Amino acid sequence: MKLQYIKAIGLIGMSFMMFSCTKKVLEKSPVSSFSAQDFYKTPSDAQAGVYGIYDAAQSVFRMNFAYWGEGRADNVKTAQSGEGLVLMQNNLNETASSANWAALYSMISRANFAVKYIPGVYGNEGGGAQLIGQARALRALAYFYLVRIWGDVPLITEPYTSTEQDIFVTKTKKELVLDQIEEDLKFAAANCVAKFNNSNDRIMFTSGGANALLTHVYMWRKKYSEALATSELVLNNSLYGLVSSMDDWSKIFTTSYSKESIFEVGYNDTETNSLRVLYAIGSYAIYTPSEKFKSSYEAGDKRISYLYDTTLVEPKAIWKFLGKGVSDEVSTPSKQNIVLLRLADIMLLRAEALNAIGGADNISKALELLNKIRKRAGVPEFASDTEAIEKYGDLESAILHERSVELAFEGHRWFDLVRTGKAISTMGPINGLSDERNLVWPIFIDVLNKNPNMVQNEYYR
Amino acid sequence: MRQNHSIHLFPPGKQILTIILFCLLPGLFAGKAFAGRPDAITQQAPVSGKIIDGETGRPLPDVNILVKGTTAGVKSNAEGIFSLTVSSPDVVLVFSYIGYQQQEIKVGPRRELNIRMTRAVSELDEVVAVGYGQQKKRDITGAISSINAKTIENTPVKDLMSAMQGRVAGVQVVSNSGAPGDGISITVRGQSSLNSGNDPLYVIDGVPVESGSVSQLNGFESHGLNPLADINPGDIESIEVLKDAASTSIYGSRAANGVILITTRHGKVGKGKVNVKFYTGISKIGRQLDVLNASEWRDIIIDSYKNLDDYNGATSPSEPHWTAIDSLNPMNNGDVDWQSLMYRTAKQNQLDVSVSGGNNAARYALSTSLLDQDGIFLASNYKRITTRINTDFDVTQRMKAGINLSFTHGANNRINAAGTGNHSLVQSILVRPPIYSLTYPDGSPINYFNGKRNPIGLAEDVTHLNITNRIIGNQFLEYKIMEGLKFRTNISLDYLSMKEDEFYPSTVDYRPGYNTGSVRAIGNLTWANENYLTYNKTINKVHELSALAGFSQQEWKRETTGLDGIYFASDNIQTLNGAGTISNQAVNTTVEHGLVSYFGRMTYGFDGKYLFQANFRADGSSRFGDENRFGYFPSASAAWRFSDESFMKGFDFLNDGKLRFSYGQTGNEAIGNYTAQGEFAIGTNYLTNSGASPVVMPNKKLTWETSTQYDLGIDLVLFNNRINFTADAYVKNTSDLLFAVPIPETSGFNYITRNIGDIRNKGFEFSLNTKNFIREFKWNTNFNIGLNRNKIVSLPEEVLTNGFIQNGTYHILQVGQPIGAFYGYKFLGVYSRDEDNKNQVKNGSSNGKLFRGGDPIWHDLNGDNIIDPRDKQIIGNAQPKFTGGLTNNFTYKSFSLGVFFQFSYGNDIYSNLNMMRNWVFAYNNVSRDALNRWRKQGDVTNYPRPIRNDPMGNEYNRVSDRWVEDGSYLRLKNVNIAYNFPRAIINRLNINALRLYASGENLLTWTNYTGYDPDVSSYSGLRIGVDDGSYPQSRTFILGLNVEF
Repeated sequence: MKLQYIKAIGLIGMSFMMFSCTKKVLEKSPVSSFSAQDFYKTPSDAQAGVYGIYDAAQSVFRMNFAYWGEGRADNVKTAQSGEGLVLMQNNLNETASSANWAALYSMISRANFAVKYIPGVYGNEGGGAQLIGQARALRALAYFYLVRIWGDVPLITEPYTSTEQDIFVTKTKKELVLDQIEEDLKFAAANCVAKFNNSNDRIMFTSGGANALLTHVYMWRKKYSEALATSELVLNNSLYGLVSSMDDWSKIFTTSYSKESIFEVGYNDTETNSLRVLYAIGSYAIYTPSEKFKSSYEAGDKRISYLYDTTLVEPKAIWKFLGKGVSDEVSTPSKQNIVLLRLADIMLLRAEALNAIGGADNISKALELLNKIRKRAGVPEFASDTEAIEKYGDLESAILHERSVELAFEGHRWFDLVRTGKAISTMGPINGLSDERNLVWPIFIDVLNKNPNMVQNEYYR
Repeated sequence: MRQNHSIHLFPPGKQILTIILFCLLPGLFAGKAFAGRPDAITQQAPVSGKIIDGETGRPLPDVNILVKGTTAGVKSNAEGIFSLTVSSPDVVLVFSYIGYQQQEIKVGPRRELNIRMTRAVSELDEVVAVGYGQQKKRDITGAISSINAKTIENTPVKDLMSAMQGRVAGVQVVSNSGAPGDGISITVRGQSSLNSGNDPLYVIDGVPVESGSVSQLNGFESHGLNPLADINPGDIESIEVLKDAASTSIYGSRAANGVILITTRHGKVGKGKVNVKFYTGISKIGRQLDVLNASEWRDIIIDSYKNLDDYNGATSPSEPHWTAIDSLNPMNNGDVDWQSLMYRTAKQNQLDVSVSGGNNAARYALSTSLLDQDGIFLASNYKRITTRINTDFDVTQRMKAGINLSFTHGANNRINAAGTGNHSLVQSILVRPPIYSLTYPDGSPINYFNGKRNPIGLAEDVTHLNITNRIIGNQFLEYKIMEGLKFRTNISLDYLSMKEDEFYPSTVDYRPGYNTGSVRAIGNLTWANENYLTYNKTINKVHELSALAGFSQQEWKRETTGLDGIYFASDNIQTLNGAGTISNQAVNTTVEHGLVSYFGRMTYGFDGKYLFQANFRADGSSRFGDENRFGYFPSASAAWRFSDESFMKGFDFLNDGKLRFSYGQTGNEAIGNYTAQGEFAIGTNYLTNSGASPVVMPNKKLTWETSTQYDLGIDLVLFNNRINFTADAYVKNTSDLLFAVPIPETSGFNYITRNIGDIRNKGFEFSLNTKNFIREFKWNTNFNIGLNRNKIVSLPEEVLTNGFIQNGTYHILQVGQPIGAFYGYKFLGVYSRDEDNKNQVKNGSSNGKLFRGGDPIWHDLNGDNIIDPRDKQIIGNAQPKFTGGLTNNFTYKSFSLGVFFQFSYGNDIYSNLNMMRNWVFAYNNVSRDALNRWRKQGDVTNYPRPIRNDPMGNEYNRVSDRWVEDGSYLRLKNVNIAYNFPRAIINRLNINALRLYASGENLLTWTNYTGYDPDVSSYSGLRIGVDDGSYPQSRTFILGLNVEF
């Protein structure tokens, strides 16, 4: 054979050795992320997946906790146009930004992945149950907001991993969704840790957190005796206690992680929320206290001076979350945690439940709970239920009023009004709310556009 | 304030010399070494003679006479006379002269040789680059357009993409902005993809290069940098645009949008040559836009409050914002023409030095280029230094090898020009109220005032610096196994490293002490290995066969590292160690992508009359799942040279005529690297706890997007080669479009990438070259035009909402419509009186407000007397009906003149900038159109009443045809006047050539468009035809000098 051929074969052979690495060239897994099939393999994946759900919760509540929980109720007013005004005037339509549930379903999707895949990580040993518990509690939290805001909503408990799955879902009856929420929370209460023994006790779901949320769910469904059972577990939980001084009370919100807190969504310097924009930015703050709120509190209420500048006729800001006298010129994003569940809230819910069940014993227990909160706030305790009835018409109204002041601007008021059937009577004179079907939000226009099977809520059709 | 990043590309005197010497030295050295090997002359004999033009009989100077097989040679003098000594009668002399056929003559016993040179038959004998090889233009069976070095040389351009504008039929070049080094979109035969993958593939000397923007810090701008700005246009020998599938399918999966082959200058056998080119120039903004002056502006603000009171039925008038009316306040007593303050006359300089030459054993071409270009905006500047070494060696008789290597360093001091954000300059300047003073009473600058940033501060204090270092290298080895059979292997590398710094000092923020900084370092590596065998054989002189078979592998890897910080201790320390808080620490990512390909080609030609070609490529991509990993892309073409048929004998005027037909498939894999696999992203943290979450839903069924293209073409050469005409008709059907389909968020995902739908592009392309005069006065004309029609043929029902897909804010994708259809409300005028709203049309919903006098009349499409999104309709189309260019070159004696027009017709522009310029609500300054605004009941006008807070949504965020304008234009793109110094002077100076020229760019534009420039597209890719206020194009004047030693 001629030399040139040998050379050529050598040369070609050399270059064709590259063939052997074609597999390497063609099989690329993500370097800085995981491919769908490579995740949920190890316990650290499982943990990261659950943190991912909390991350979604940060987005969900960043701004909307106030739009949903306060925007349509009577404690706030707005001088701004936009979403705040739309809600205040009860002028909602399909383009209202708070009508978009995308972030809640993102939270649910992440939870669905965790619930489905974490068991596989731990095999048959049943490990990871507390992680699954947290995932299910977070899923329940998301669905609880969904049913309270939109009524019937799609109930999805399986993660989407393939294009074969049905993506054009329809609504599920809200009672079925609430059943699922209860089931998730019962599982969470049974499987979440009792405590983490660090600050995570406040910002992650513990067994106590699950019971507190379950209390809310039971109250929403008017299952009062169940609410008594779960709230008792919360009240007896040594993790939680009422703070005593008003300065400490203020710190529940301004510095977070207080012993009164049961579950709060954590934020920090880089994972920030919109509390400042909502409540405290110069003359631009979305919300200030309503006239009604300013005239509703009782004389001597020590809480009010922590809420806003009472020396002004027209307070420019709500101080509750950013601290008394917060400078309204500084507009750094806010990093205070958003407290969703705290002991005073559960105590007052329990008082409501006791009152609803009735009986002298229950009524006096309810009064006792109510008075604990009143006493701390520096307002006179009710010596008997008749005193409360004289002042507020009935005990339930007295408790609701206490919730309105104690939990002011924390995102409870609207749901309290709806839950107790007082929304129309309260808001009607303010913004003309008159139709039961108007109590839910409209379904966002993008949601309707993207899903031909999705039907607009009746009032908004 | 500014970080001291500036690099001095044009150092004073001495250093320039050093640089020039530095790049000359290797050349001179090489020239000597290569020119060595003196031929042994045994029997010396003198030969002389005269060379004349065969047709005219005129003597020809400068004809190269070379002894065949050596580098020894002479040139004829001005009278065409030459003389040299030869070693033996067997010596063969080679006579060559540009534009004439080369002749070889054996000396024999003669001592005097009189030579008649005949003009070269035509350009058909030129070779053009094709995929993995070269072909004679004569034998091309596909649709390929070329731009040669001369065209680029005559119109100095800063980057090679703009060199292509208006030059090639069917290639649409749109600037994203006029900023130095900014991106340009090139579309070959229309948009054929729904995803961003509409860029052609660029191959430089066989290296497929990165052509997408790698910039990670585009700030508030919507477009990135032009990575091909790294290529010095002066290094380019030719650009070939492969348009039809027969030409492109050899590049398979990345060829659906055409392939652009760039060949750089290589050394040629002959004496070493040194070229020095220098130009200097100035640029100015083409036009300024009209705005209101201070008192006019105060009036409209007061009006807007009055109209709000009227809207609210307020009994007592509300107080206008103090800024509007208080002309005595020192903050507000200005009357500033912000455009004149911000735009400047900018200078630019470029110096190119190149050396080339070589002998049979080794050829070389070396070049260095320095560019320093100021932008017409304050504080914007681009500096670039490029060096290139191209070498070719004949290692043995059978083996060739070579290296092409280029290095570029670029420093782009950008400003944030585009976009409608509060940071963007073009907009800031235009909408900034004229009343704002420049300084506080104490003389310090007013940087942030009343929600508006000072544009001077934005330009001068904000750092936005991109430093690019790029190496593109290619080494090849070619081995001739036997006659006609060659093996070639290429290893190529494209490494692009970019460092970006961004810093917004507290002086441009309203929050005291609030400053932000970001840094990104990006490393982008592409390597490719290509191996192929080629075989050429001619049987019986009439059967020409060739074959090509090979395989290649290519890998991409991009690493990004970065930090963002806020609360820097000082505005003067801008590096991230000065940040009080690191706000984003998760930026460190790597992505990878790989491609493995097998390809082949066969051609057969019978007597140059019947030509056939078939290509095949199989591409495997890491982006697709196992099942659909490989895509197969075949093509075939045929051509018939009917002018060679005997029945055409009588048609003497026809020098050459060829009919071509081609069919083929190409692909597109322009999706995310891991889209098919699905992805869990990390970084969805909960406080300090690392979280991960699903971000991409897997779709294992994803596969290649495929384009099937038919092309029918004709090439004619007429009347003694005076007329060259090429026409092509094509249809390109793209199916299995890759698209991120929006899905209900209940799934937890916003999008899923799927193969959906079909798009069709069809069109005609014509190009005509004529030599109108060819004697002493020469006049050549080149005209090209491309007419493309783009249409979405099908989209699956389930991806549509209300019958279409919303594509960004302004566009929709709808069956029957082209990509680039604008969608919004139709503006029918302005209600003159309240009563004119006879149908009681309301805004938004049935309980919305009535439109009243002064409000716009929106077209109530569905007639329900409610203006809501159901009334939106197609309001424009960004696709041009045709685009093209017209070049006329005139030469008389030593003078030459080039005049180049370029045009685009029938395209609409959505001017978001105009919307911003008429948005009174935001205290914006507005266009002078506002002087015709509605003021009182009964006014007849088409400019609505301004209302504070804009409660009816008249102004802001209503996409409407109020802002759609005809973007057609005809532009005098370039005029170039040059003087080539005559031989007598050149000889005296002892140089080879000297050319002095003046050139003007963007001199005149005929258009109805009211923005800065109709050549604009703020977004690359699909969302075409939107003017977001890009950095304006400039009018440039250049004076240049080219010297060849």
